[in-house]
Amino acid sequence: MRRTAQYLLAALVVLLLWEGVSLILLATRGRMILPTPVATLSEAGRHFGELASAFGASALRFLLSLLIAFALGLPLGLLIGFEGSLYQLLSPLIYLTYPIPPVALLVFLYLAFGVGEAVKVVVITAALFFQVLVAAQGAARGIPRTYVTAVRSAGANRWQLYRHVVIPATLPEVLTAARVSVGLGITMLYIVETKLGLVGGPRTGLGRLIEYYTFRAELSLAGVVGLSLLGLMFYALLELLERWLCRWKHVGGPGGA
Amino acid sequence: MIEIEGLSVEYGAGRRRVLALEEVSLSVGEGEFVAVVGPSGCGKSTLLFVLDGLVRPSRGRVEIGGEEVRGIRRDVALILQDAGLLPWKTVQQNAELTLKIQGRKGDVGGVLRQLGLAGFERRYPGELSEGMRRRVGIARALALHPTVLLMDEPMANLDSLTRERIQNLILELWQRLGFTAVLVTHDIEEAVFLGQRIFVFTPRPGKVAEVVDNPGVGQAGYRDSDAFRDRVSHLREVLVGSAA
Repeated sequence: MRRTAQYLLAALVVLLLWEGVSLILLATRGRMILPTPVATLSEAGRHFGELASAFGASALRFLLSLLIAFALGLPLGLLIGFEGSLYQLLSPLIYLTYPIPPVALLVFLYLAFGVGEAVKVVVITAALFFQVLVAAQGAARGIPRTYVTAVRSAGANRWQLYRHVVIPATLPEVLTAARVSVGLGITMLYIVETKLGLVGGPRTGLGRLIEYYTFRAELSLAGVVGLSLLGLMFYALLELLERWLCRWKHVGGPGGA
Repeated sequence: MIEIEGLSVEYGAGRRRVLALEEVSLSVGEGEFVAVVGPSGCGKSTLLFVLDGLVRPSRGRVEIGGEEVRGIRRDVALILQDAGLLPWKTVQQNAELTLKIQGRKGDVGGVLRQLGLAGFERRYPGELSEGMRRRVGIARALALHPTVLLMDEPMANLDSLTRERIQNLILELWQRLGFTAVLVTHDIEEAVFLGQRIFVFTPRPGKVAEVVDNPGVGQAGYRDSDAFRDRVSHLREVLVGSAA
């Protein structure tokens, strides 16, 4: 409840700042440069169906990319981080490829995957994949030895070791990294939807909608608000997931003698 | 019960090779409580890990109950220094972890009740006091009904009052359940309070420097007796001598 109130207060502050900047620009430049929140939101209301379609398409694209990034990055990162020999073998490869922004390879990806949906998902996934991979690898390397010894002493096999120690021990760090990466993912989403969305209409994604209505500032800005809400939605979703899967991190202090 | 003959353990290779234990020979009788003391890094914990089947000897022979130790055994339980609890598992889940991993059936409810942990089954370790966490570690070991209980400084980093309580609890459990116990500790008074025989180890590579008999263990008021204080002083002298 308190958290919701904090978000509402933050939204109010953003709206007030936005209104202030709009009015200052209007006063100093003599014409409307940045549409006011009221004008933007009323235009959004008039085009609600179109905005909702674009939001849905972007959300689905982002969700799919996030799921693939997790499905590939988490097990691979845990294996590389926890298995010493794999770490020796593969960590140089990761540190060489990690800094390459996937958009820099857009031409090659475009040639490889065409202009359809696949290439957009590939670019967003690639960006998120490395965030998850590197976080999982780092977290797996930092697992305290005592947890491993406790489970090995019980006679655990490799799978039991991962199930009882490696996965639960690393999950909080991995989910935090994924939450922090939402901003990067949204940026990638915008880039692929504008650079690779030229053949689609404004309903094919928020990025495309922003680009499509460049000269209808209120509607374009409504798309930007949509992107912000999309990021917030995934951030909150990952936070909820972390609170649910890692309840033990959020419990109170000692309750007995 | 436990027979160790010419045990040596080496870690690493080449210039990083470390000889942790060298030619250690000792035996522990069935139902006996022994303590192992020595300076940091003398291989005390390594000795326990060998007995638990976690570390393989480089040389020598280790037997429990007449069988050579070749891996984890179901009748041997190890209590780690900080209880080895997994913070993402509840008290109940932590207590039954070994049973679950070994695919054994068993009810930990009785053990948790015995150790004063009833009502805390669904709490996480982060919600417990340090003393309670150690008791959960003991509960996990006792749930296995072990014939040999290995303890790697189970009272380390506890305040003195809690440490005494846990020491009394371990003594009482040993007297009642009759398992063979090997306690590794830094604490001289703890070794004298619990160990019927005390093995003093040299600095690395660890060897048995002296074995001190301590027949007063378990007697009422032993901790406050002159015999106890004499034994503590003697052991301190032996330790200083072995480290010199």
